[in-house]
Amino acid sequence: MAIHAEPTTSTSAPGLSPYRTDYTSWKVMAWTGFAFITAFFCLWGLLARNISPFPAWAEPQAVWDHYKNLRLPIMIGMSVCLTCTAFYMVWSVAVSRVMERIEGSGGVWSKLEMMGGTITCAPIMTACAIWLTAAHEIDNISPGMAHTLYWFGWLLIDLAYFVTSWQIAGASIVFMRDKREKKLVPNIVSWWGWITILSFFVVSAIPFVNTGPLAFNGVISFWIAFFTWFFWIPGLSYYIIKAIPRLQAEDEAAGRLNA
Amino acid sequence: MSVLRERVTWVWLALMVLTCATTWGLSKDLFSPVVAVVGNFLIAAVKVRYVMLDFMELRQAPLPVRAAFEAWPWVVAAVILGFWFATPAVM
Amino acid sequence: MEGIWVFIGADSVIFAILFLSFMQDRLKNPALFEASRHTLNMHLGGLDTLILLTSSWSVALAVQAMKRDQIDREPRLLLGGAVTGLMFMASKSIEYFQKFAHGLTPGTNPFYMWYFTLTGIHLAHVVAGTSLLTYLWVRSRRGTYDHLHRAVPESVASYWHLVDLLWIVLFPLLYLMRAG
Repeated sequence: MAIHAEPTTSTSAPGLSPYRTDYTSWKVMAWTGFAFITAFFCLWGLLARNISPFPAWAEPQAVWDHYKNLRLPIMIGMSVCLTCTAFYMVWSVAVSRVMERIEGSGGVWSKLEMMGGTITCAPIMTACAIWLTAAHEIDNISPGMAHTLYWFGWLLIDLAYFVTSWQIAGASIVFMRDKREKKLVPNIVSWWGWITILSFFVVSAIPFVNTGPLAFNGVISFWIAFFTWFFWIPGLSYYIIKAIPRLQAEDEAAGRLNA
Repeated sequence: MSVLRERVTWVWLALMVLTCATTWGLSKDLFSPVVAVVGNFLIAAVKVRYVMLDFMELRQAPLPVRAAFEAWPWVVAAVILGFWFATPAVM
Repeated sequence: MEGIWVFIGADSVIFAILFLSFMQDRLKNPALFEASRHTLNMHLGGLDTLILLTSSWSVALAVQAMKRDQIDREPRLLLGGAVTGLMFMASKSIEYFQKFAHGLTPGTNPFYMWYFTLTGIHLAHVVAGTSLLTYLWVRSRRGTYDHLHRAVPESVASYWHLVDLLWIVLFPLLYLMRAG
């Protein structure tokens, strides 16, 4: 009959569960951050022509023509992007689990990070579905409806930013609290997270302006707000991927049964 | 007062004088637009440089950091002036 | 807090991108931009520059006091920084109200969109900085800061100097840049 070791206390190994840690799955999940950003950039950004977006000041007929002319690339881009957005949820779990090793399994920020990352998928997926529908149904809808759907997607995908803000804030706060001499995630990534959060707030202006830097296709609301986030995802991913073998080594060096 | 002997105080005074020169000096019509605009932005770059070196204490920073920050006012001034010269004149 | 330099660096680059973008829009309609520029209050703008420079000076002296363990000098210098920050906010508010009273809003034309956006984002920086300086003032009165304990005030001070130098560029860009 096997004698089980006493479970490790939370002060010596915060966040370590009494069960075997599945480092392999954890590592795979950490890589999905790159999968998401690649899919989003290539499919939503390039194929569906959102980098840079069709202008906010475009008239209904111009929007209708845009969907008519680019119907197939938009349908492919938006449908596959919608599906691939789930990678962001998977990635958020991997990040959360690394956070738990600093914060402890009862920590609130790691929970909020996971929820923030998961819920972020909802406005992205729904907006992609809206734009997909506009392209799919273009011959059945009026220019006015095309214009409405175009705006519906942008207002949704942009204004839900605050969910993502809390995800990023959680990650930045916890990773900055890491007491290791060489932090699992360096402060530069955490500070970039704060820049990203701050750049999101001005996006609240998009319902009220069609032109200039604050419009949804403008230099501030699009180029700065999106690209700060675009750099945060792979930046954090790189260190999360490296953190998992570090944590595994820490577990093995401590001789913990769970490793 | 000992504060008058501090380097930051002399820098502050110089910056205040330069501000008055650009705001109420170069803005006068006796200066042509080219002189006023180029003068304003060169002076602005110099002011930024001294804020960086003496207020932000970049003199004590590692060389690559100091170089990157010191380049900023000149790059910004160059870009702004480049656009200004490329912009058609207004009657 | 070496991470503050990432923040300052990124903020500087972002503002540089905005200055470039402003000049791009100005290239498309120089007459409109010049006419709109004339409605700006250059005297208030110049005064704002003098206020922020003085504020930076006060904060720089405060940090110096910390390095020299002159703990009783710190509070009034930090308060000086915070009060001048409030003066900037008051001056901007007056300027904005003058504009609104004349029916000039961000939606009036592209120049005003840029004017309100750039000065507005800068003003948000001033509000944040003034709040931080006020916090530092309160803590300094308890003797919290000295040559061994000055990482937070130094970081806030560096941020505040950034706010100052951004205005040094913003002011001529919006208020003084005459058309050719």
